[in-house]
Amino acid sequence: MAQISARAADLPSGRTAGQGAGRGLARWLASDRVFPKIPYVLVEGLIIVTILIPFILTIYISLLRWRANRPFETATFSGLSNYEVVLTDSLFWASVGRTFYFAGTAVAVELVVGFVLAMLVHQCTRSKKLYTTIILVPMMIVPIVVGYNFSMIYVDSGPLNQLLAPFLEPFGIDPRIRWLSHPVAAQFAIIIADIWQWTSLTFLIFLSGFSALPAQLINAARVMGATPWQIFWRIQFPLLKPAILIAVIIRSMEALKMFDPVVLLTFGGPGTSTQTVAYFLWEQVWVFNKFSFGAAASIVLLVMFSVFIYFGIYLLVSQRATVDRRAA
Amino acid sequence: MRRLSWILCGLLIISMQQALADPVADRAIAGAKAYIKAKNLKEPKLTVLLSSLYNNSFPDFAKKWEELTGVKMEIVPLGYTDIPAKIMQEGVAKTGVYDIFNDFPYTTPDAAGAKVVIPLDDYAKKYKPDFSGVADGLQFQQYYDGKLYIMVNDGDHLILALRKDLVENPQVRADYKAKFNKDLGCPDTMAEWAQQAAFFQTKAGDTRWGIKFEQPLYGALGYRSVNFSYRHFPVYMKGLLFDKDMKPRIGTPDGIAAIKAFAASVDHMPKDIQGWGTPQIYPFWASGQAYSAMSFPSIIGFANGNPKSVIKGKQIPCIIPGNVIDGKLVRRAPQAAGTGYMVSAYSKNPELAYLFIQWFTSPTVGDQAVAHPRGFWDPYRDEHVKNKAINDRFGADMVKTTIENSKYAASLLMIEGNYEYFKILDNNLADVMNKNISAEEAAKRIEAGWNRVTNDVGRDTQIRIWRKGVESGIYLDKF
Repeated sequence: MAQISARAADLPSGRTAGQGAGRGLARWLASDRVFPKIPYVLVEGLIIVTILIPFILTIYISLLRWRANRPFETATFSGLSNYEVVLTDSLFWASVGRTFYFAGTAVAVELVVGFVLAMLVHQCTRSKKLYTTIILVPMMIVPIVVGYNFSMIYVDSGPLNQLLAPFLEPFGIDPRIRWLSHPVAAQFAIIIADIWQWTSLTFLIFLSGFSALPAQLINAARVMGATPWQIFWRIQFPLLKPAILIAVIIRSMEALKMFDPVVLLTFGGPGTSTQTVAYFLWEQVWVFNKFSFGAAASIVLLVMFSVFIYFGIYLLVSQRATVDRRAA
Repeated sequence: MRRLSWILCGLLIISMQQALADPVADRAIAGAKAYIKAKNLKEPKLTVLLSSLYNNSFPDFAKKWEELTGVKMEIVPLGYTDIPAKIMQEGVAKTGVYDIFNDFPYTTPDAAGAKVVIPLDDYAKKYKPDFSGVADGLQFQQYYDGKLYIMVNDGDHLILALRKDLVENPQVRADYKAKFNKDLGCPDTMAEWAQQAAFFQTKAGDTRWGIKFEQPLYGALGYRSVNFSYRHFPVYMKGLLFDKDMKPRIGTPDGIAAIKAFAASVDHMPKDIQGWGTPQIYPFWASGQAYSAMSFPSIIGFANGNPKSVIKGKQIPCIIPGNVIDGKLVRRAPQAAGTGYMVSAYSKNPELAYLFIQWFTSPTVGDQAVAHPRGFWDPYRDEHVKNKAINDRFGADMVKTTIENSKYAASLLMIEGNYEYFKILDNNLADVMNKNISAEEAAKRIEAGWNRVTNDVGRDTQIRIWRKGVESGIYLDKF
């Protein structure tokens, strides 16, 4: 004990100085001038490290001539030539077009099915929670499991073709549809897998939209003799427009990045018939090592998708303004 | 079955202990011990990026190496499709996390170009590995730009398997002889294989040769999906893919004929074949629904060993059919999947990593790997024909044919950017198989695509490496 006291006595000046500096820093951080800025600095710092620096690096790499099968030290400045290559690459544009086609079809079906399911479940008086849970299950399954399951379902002699056989055979149509190897059927296979998994999300958005509808407004309409169709078309549907727009934007943003089902089901094939732009980019960068090309293509896509998303947000804001005006 | 596997594993471990009579393996062990002592390494460790296919067999050898040398082996298993990207990522990140990369030889050009793997010639000169009894096409694909980069322990070149029960059926033989005036058996040429495939193609419900076919019998099986077609296409191509100046030969009459023959072959395969890989092809073959299969040698072992197989003992392994060029039969068996081992440029102990590779690919330990009951390594050395454990594992017929076939083993394209060349070929072959474009149009597109890659990577470099590869004999054909 005496030894410990003696050692403590050996260090008084250093400890006091350290403690003093620590207290000074704490006081400075707690001051009215600094404290409110701490969250700002942390968040902005995080944005700079995780978004801004990689973004600047991506732009920098897009201006170089560099394939990763050569050391980075050998890269040379090439100006905008990568952008020229991207903008004149027919495979790039084909994959962009295909992505919009996949996303457009999948999201449209997801919206309709999700909306109808939400409407039906909202009207349920019993087992509402059970139905909701069941419908939300696909969204909670890991995409790789979904991909594996669908690859089994789509096999030539698999359950889907066996289910379809009684309906196709009477019309003389071969029931052995090549879901994963026919260029057109493979596209539908991917769209169906996406719809199966992500209809849950649109359902959830619409169900919360239905739950938030003002009951008194609907009751009042009912009392005044409005038919169920009139209630839906004149009251519920207009009030649900913001929810619809949110569902469109969220799902479109995700669907435009479609990658998992493509890799898991077809690897972009047969040929390039199921190559989405996300898959195209992955292949160019991680299989062909064309990092500069990939960086330039990413920037081009960023601009394109930003315009698309900006348009969506503009619609959302103007829709909200219209609802607010009507409410006022 | 499981008990038998464990017994075989036990025997394998015992035989591994007796394997120290191999001077190649001995040099590696002694070299490792000396290296550890000289560098004063306290807890030496090597990390291997391993194809997950080998995750049930490779650890037995890693454990043995650890017992012999004290070097701890850490294994990072990964799907083989993801390994090339992981290697290239290491080339950019330079973390030094891995000491050894396990992948196909045709990953070497990009990895060597990025300087993420190192040439092994100096170590080889010092420790003297043994490549005796390995056919030229397999041996020389270990080299890139004249330097040793990868050491291969797997003879995964394509072979042809036929249905013995059908070939030996007297009625079938008589029918075939009457139709083609030729005895039925292993086809010598690709045209003959196509002819046999057409002959055997049978609809479900038909009765032929006294056999009622409840399910359809397909004339042929082969890999026709994305990421696989390029591995089979060289069998159809008469000669090299490029000329001496890297001008693609795909647009020549030989190239167009090869595209047509490749695409036409799907007429005698299951309709869904363009979506199939090994997990579909192997069980389908074992289910007895096809007459022939061009595949990796292990398909025969699979169909003999799978409990649900209906063709156990009913297979004939054949050497690869060829093409007649200038009146001479020329066979080419692409080395479609065999893997090897490279040393990372960022390894802290590259010499130690090399020594493990030399030990693992040495004649005795390499043979034990090939014989491993849960391994996916195929026979490749001449003496494997005489190795009892290997013959017991694969069947003497199959080993004999595989070794004979290895004389025709030819490497896939070993130049930088090869994955892009392969993909351009695959995409256009798919379009022809789906009748979206003609063979001539596909040839034009492939030629344009290949020229674009050649220019992008650097034409002069590509020409130099291509010529060197051809001269070394990895493609068997010469200019």
